[in-house]
Amino acid sequence: MPDDHRRAAVPDALERAGGLVPGAARAVSAETGVPEAHVWGVGSFFHLLARPDVDARVCTGLSCQLAGADALLDAARGAGVSCEGVSCLAACDRAPAVLRGRRVQPDATAETLGAEVPDWAGTIGPDGADPDRLAIDLAGEPDWSGTAFAKAEAMGADAVIEAIDVSGLQGRGGAGFPAAFKWKSVRGQPDETRYVVLNADEGEPGTFKDREVLLRRPDRVLEGLAIAARAIGARDVYCYLRGEFEIPWKKLADAIDRVGAAGLFPDVTFHMHAGQGAYICGEETALIEALEGKRGMPRLRPPFPTEHGLWGKPTLVHNVETIACVPAVVTRGGPWFKDLGVTGPGTKLYCVSGHVARPGTYEMPLGVSLEELVTAAGGYVGMLKAFSPGGASSGFLPASEKHRPLDFKSLADVGSMLGSAGVVVCNDTVAMPWAVKQQLQFFEVESCGQCAPCRIGTRFLREALDRHVADPRPAALAQVADVSWEMNEGSICGLGQAACLPLTTAMKWFPEEFGQ
Amino acid sequence: MSSQNPKRVPEEASDPSLSVTLDGETVDARPGETILELAERHGKDIPTLCHDPRLAPAGACRSCLVEVEGSRRLIPSCATPVADGQVVTTANDRIARHQKVLLALYLADQPDFAARGETPGGAQACELHAMADAVGAPTDWPKMEPLRVGREDRNPYVQFFPEACILCARCTRYCAEIESVSAISLAGRGAETTIATADDVSLLDSSCELCGGCIDVCPTGAMTEKMPVTAGRRGHVEPEKVVRTTCNYCGVGCQMDLHVEPAANDGRGRIERVVSPEAGTTTNDGNLCVKGRFAYDFVDHEDRLTTPLIRAEDGSLREASWDEALARTVEGLMGVHERHGADALAFVSSSRCTMEENYLVQKMARAVFGTNNVHQCAAT
Repeated sequence: MPDDHRRAAVPDALERAGGLVPGAARAVSAETGVPEAHVWGVGSFFHLLARPDVDARVCTGLSCQLAGADALLDAARGAGVSCEGVSCLAACDRAPAVLRGRRVQPDATAETLGAEVPDWAGTIGPDGADPDRLAIDLAGEPDWSGTAFAKAEAMGADAVIEAIDVSGLQGRGGAGFPAAFKWKSVRGQPDETRYVVLNADEGEPGTFKDREVLLRRPDRVLEGLAIAARAIGARDVYCYLRGEFEIPWKKLADAIDRVGAAGLFPDVTFHMHAGQGAYICGEETALIEALEGKRGMPRLRPPFPTEHGLWGKPTLVHNVETIACVPAVVTRGGPWFKDLGVTGPGTKLYCVSGHVARPGTYEMPLGVSLEELVTAAGGYVGMLKAFSPGGASSGFLPASEKHRPLDFKSLADVGSMLGSAGVVVCNDTVAMPWAVKQQLQFFEVESCGQCAPCRIGTRFLREALDRHVADPRPAALAQVADVSWEMNEGSICGLGQAACLPLTTAMKWFPEEFGQ
Repeated sequence: MSSQNPKRVPEEASDPSLSVTLDGETVDARPGETILELAERHGKDIPTLCHDPRLAPAGACRSCLVEVEGSRRLIPSCATPVADGQVVTTANDRIARHQKVLLALYLADQPDFAARGETPGGAQACELHAMADAVGAPTDWPKMEPLRVGREDRNPYVQFFPEACILCARCTRYCAEIESVSAISLAGRGAETTIATADDVSLLDSSCELCGGCIDVCPTGAMTEKMPVTAGRRGHVEPEKVVRTTCNYCGVGCQMDLHVEPAANDGRGRIERVVSPEAGTTTNDGNLCVKGRFAYDFVDHEDRLTTPLIRAEDGSLREASWDEALARTVEGLMGVHERHGADALAFVSSSRCTMEENYLVQKMARAVFGTNNVHQCAAT
C-alpha cells in the first residue's frame, strides 16, 4: 500500500480501535506505519475520536439553544448521563438535537434520551411547488433510470460543461463559486489522474439541506457525481460524509450498491469516507487533508484543489446540493435552470429554523426574501427581531431586511452572505449578546487552531463579549474592530475570515444592546 | 507536518531570469525562490515566526504577509513563489496594521512570565517579544484566560510551557522533517491546540531522541532547557559570555556555543546551556544531538579528573605533572616494545576524540612504534 494511502487509513483505524483510548495511537501506528505522535495528532483533532466515551452530545447550535439545549444538557447531566455539548448537528429543524453514538436524535427531551432512535427526516416544502420548476425536487420519487447520465455521455464532456456554464450554477456550500469554472480548470490540468470529492460535511449552524438531499434524493447525488467524473476525466469519486450522518450514510451506501448492481455508471467508482467530528472539514482543503488521514487544517491557497487537490492531484470538490443540481441541468438544459431563480440562477434549498412555525428545507427560486421563505414555512413564531441568513458565518440582519433577496450578491452588499442558506430566525425574546455568544463559542471550538488570527481572535472576541455582558462598559469591546479586521485580513481560511461577523453585524444593527 | 508545499530550494547557480517589482523597485528573482527569500536578499526586513529555511513552509504564523498585486488577500511571503511580473509590497499602512494587531493578539495570549522575560534566555531571546517591540504592537490589551495546562514529564532535558506556545509548529516540523523522528505533533483543536506526544507520555517513552532541536527552533521559549529550570535559574537574562567550541563527543565536529556564567563556581565559570550556531553557518546546520546539547555537566562534575595520576607499585594513585605523566607513559610503552616487539602493543582511541586526534593515534602506532594494531571504538 502506498504511504499516502496508509495515512488515509488512520481515522478509520482509530474508529475501529474505539477512538483515542490509551494505547490506540500506538496500535494504529503499528498497523499503518504512521508515526504514533501523528496518529495522536489526528485523533485528538476530531472530537468523535478524541472523546469516545461520551454517551450523549447535545447540540449547542443557535436553533437548538433557542429550543432549550442548555436545559436539556443540565437535565442529562443531572440524570448521570455522560454527556457534553457539541457543535451543530445539522438538525436545526428538529431542535433540540442530540447525538447518540453516531446517530442524531431529533426533538430530544430528557425523557427520551435513552430511547431508540428510528430513521427520520425533516419537513420539506413548499407545498404545491411545480416539480417541473425544481432542480432537486426533494419530494419526487428517486429516479434510477440513469437518463441524465446517458444523455451526458451522448453530449460529450465539452457540451456538458457548456451546459453547466450556461446554467450559471454556483457552489451551494457557501462560497457561491461558479461550478463550470472548476470543471474547466480540472479538465484542463495536464495530470490525467483526477478526482471528484463530494463534500457532505454539512455543519454550518442552521444548515441541514444536504442531509435531506442524501435522505431523499441520493439518486440525484450519485448521478451528478458520475456526470461530473466523466466530464472532468476522473474514475474515482470520494464521498466525505460527516460522522454524525449515520442515517444519510446508510441511504447513500444503499444507493451506491444499487447503481453498482445495475451497472448504471460504468467506469466510475464511489468511495465513502466518514468524518470524525470537525466543522472545519467542510472547508474543501481541510476536507482533503482529512481524506488523506491528516488533521483537518485548511491548506494555503493557491494552489487550489482544481490544480493540487487530493494526494496532489487535480480535484473537483462539490457540495451535495450543488452536485444534485447537475442531472436536471443536463436533462432540461442550462437555460431552464438559469431561468428558475428570481435574482440569481436556479432554485435553492433554503433551510429555515428558529422562531418559525414549520422549520424545514424549502426549495425555492434563488433570491426569495425572508418574508417569502417564512410564509412558506408557516409564518413567524412571535415578533421577528433578527435573522441569520446563511449560517453562523453570515452574522445577523435586523427585521428591516426581511424583504431583501436571499441571494449571493444582495446579502454581500449588506455585509452578510448567503453562505449555505441556513436561515435562523430570532424573535423579540432573544437578546442579541446571547445569540452572538452562541455563534462565537461555535467558532472558538471549531477553529482548527492552525493560524493565530482565528485561533486567538475567536477566543478574544468571545472573552470580550463575556466582559461586556458581565460589566457593560464600552471598554470591554474596545479591541473588537481591530481584532475583527485582523481575523478577516490574516486568517488562512473562510472560518477565521467570517468568524467575527456575528459580533460585528449585531453591534452594527443593534448598537444599543452593546452599549454603543 | 501537513504542509502540501514541497520544500523549495532556490537555485543559486541558475541565472536570474524573473523580473519582480519589490516595493516599487524592479529586481531580478531566481526561479523557485519564495517572495520572502527574494525580499531578504534585497535587505527587506519581513518578520517571521513559523519560518525556518530548512523546513517546508507552513504559512501558519501569518507574520510575513505581504501584498501582491492582483490578490485581494494578503499572502504569506514564506510560502509563495516568485513569478515573473509580480508586484510585491512589503510595507504599507495595511501591512503595518496587520502586524500590530496580530502581535497584540499573540501577546494577549502569552502568560505574564513570558512578558517579564522569565523564559530561559530572557525577553531579548524571545523572538515574539522582540518582534512585538519592533512593529509597535500595543501591549495593554486584556490578557486572555489561560487555557493550556502544563504536564509533568520526567525527561531530564526538555521543558515545555504550553501557555507560552504560539503553535508555529517549528518544533513538530523540525522533529519530522529534519530529524525524521516525529515524536511530537500538534494535538487537540482550536484554542486548546498544543504540542504533545502520543498518549501524552513522557518524551522518554516516545520515539524522541532528546536532541533538543525543538528547543532550538522555538521562538518563544515554550520549549526550553530543563536543567536551568530545575536548578532554579529560570529567569536569567542574556548570557554574559558565549564560547564557540567543537563538540568532543564524536568525530563529526559539530560546532556549539557554550553560554557561560563566568563568575560562577568561584570564578571558574559555569556552562548555563549549550546552543547550536544558527542554521546555515556551520557544518551541523543548527543541529546537535542529545550528548552535545545536554551532556555537559561532566565539566563541573566532582569525579572529573583535572590532573594526571600515576599509580605506584602498591597500587595507590598520586597526582603528577603532565611532563612527569607523559614521561612515565613513554617509558612504559617503550619498555614493552623493547622486551616483546612492536606487535605486543595495541592502540585504541576514542570516538570522543576529534578526527585529527584519531589520525595522530594511528600515525603514532604505525610510524613511531611500527604496528598496525590500532583501533577506534566507533569502528565496530
